[in-house]
Amino acid sequence: MPSPPASSAELAERYRAEILAYLVRLLGDAHEAEDACQEALLRAHRAFDRLGADANCRAWLYRIATNTAVDAARRRARRAARTVDADVDGIPAAAAVSPEDREHLRAVARAVEALPPRQRGALMLRQFQGLGYAEIAASLGGNEAAARANVYQAIRKLRTALGDR
Amino acid sequence: MSKRDDELIAVVLGDARPSAELARWLATDEGRGELGAYRQALGVLDRVYRDVRVPEPRRTVYYCALRTPIGRVLVAATEAGLVRVSFRRTEAWFAKELRRRLGAEVVRSPARTADIVHQLRAYFAGERRTFDVRVDLSRLTPFHQRVLLAAASVPAGQVVSYGEIARRIGQPRGSRAVGQALGRNPIPIVIPCHRVVASGGKLGGYTGGLAIKKKLLRIEGAVAAAG
Repeated sequence: MPSPPASSAELAERYRAEILAYLVRLLGDAHEAEDACQEALLRAHRAFDRLGADANCRAWLYRIATNTAVDAARRRARRAARTVDADVDGIPAAAAVSPEDREHLRAVARAVEALPPRQRGALMLRQFQGLGYAEIAASLGGNEAAARANVYQAIRKLRTALGDR
Repeated sequence: MSKRDDELIAVVLGDARPSAELARWLATDEGRGELGAYRQALGVLDRVYRDVRVPEPRRTVYYCALRTPIGRVLVAATEAGLVRVSFRRTEAWFAKELRRRLGAEVVRSPARTADIVHQLRAYFAGERRTFDVRVDLSRLTPFHQRVLLAAASVPAGQVVSYGEIARRIGQPRGSRAVGQALGRNPIPIVIPCHRVVASGGKLGGYTGGLAIKKKLLRIEGAVAAAG
């Protein structure tokens, strides 16, 4: 366990890269993610004094980042009618090898976009951010069983999106 | 959510080992198919979301203010070196200007600017005649950089004319352009554009005001030119 950061600046320096990647995964847009990241680090800076000495500051930062992303997504939804057709070219680096493969990528991306924020967050934290269920619970609220249930439900929806085999 | 799905997902994720009952089902065509479908779903998720394109971090500019005999002086530096010195401005104006001009995150940091602040204090106290800092001129045009570097080679206590700088950069007819380039010196004092004067003993101009140009030359002992 690394020593707790002495300042919010140190906290930001240590976790900025992974928080930014997480926000790209949540929001599906690099620039929006960058703005959200700056906002999240600012919120963390303001609340840093209230962070307990023995708190899991990484999970705490993920919680702030998730809330910031939810706010950003809400603002976006208000701004524009929601795009129904997930644009695989617009989000992360996916190169399809065949039309059928492309359809799979699109189906999964669409399913991810349709996930409720908590499930999407839990899924990304588990699969790409290296958090265990206890840390996911600390980040998103609720207990460990709820964190696990969120991850599993998300995965079930992805599987359903791929259809019958 | 069926219990079997939960169990299957736990196995696919590596959260649990299959029970004997699940293992038997996984040996059937249906079980194999479902296992394959979950693996494929996670595989596709991985391809779409693992290697996200993360934007390059915006560069950060650190700034600080200090009191000097010519009033408040503001300095700003990136990792690459000093980018701005300003005077006759407020801190708020300076921070906003940095954000607008450099598109950077702007952070007030006495620690990151301690070296240049220390050197400037010594300069104004008359204890230092040269600066030993890296400067970041990467955003300027090659001509602008040549003019500033030529001005930087004029030692304290001396002055040269705009025409002399023009000759030194190999553009003897360019003294007007030299004057304009010096007028847009982002790092005054440290790059001593105040040591460049008009021919015939006149001071020429100074973006920070002629009074400050005179004062700087007096601190450096170039009294004759300071008049």
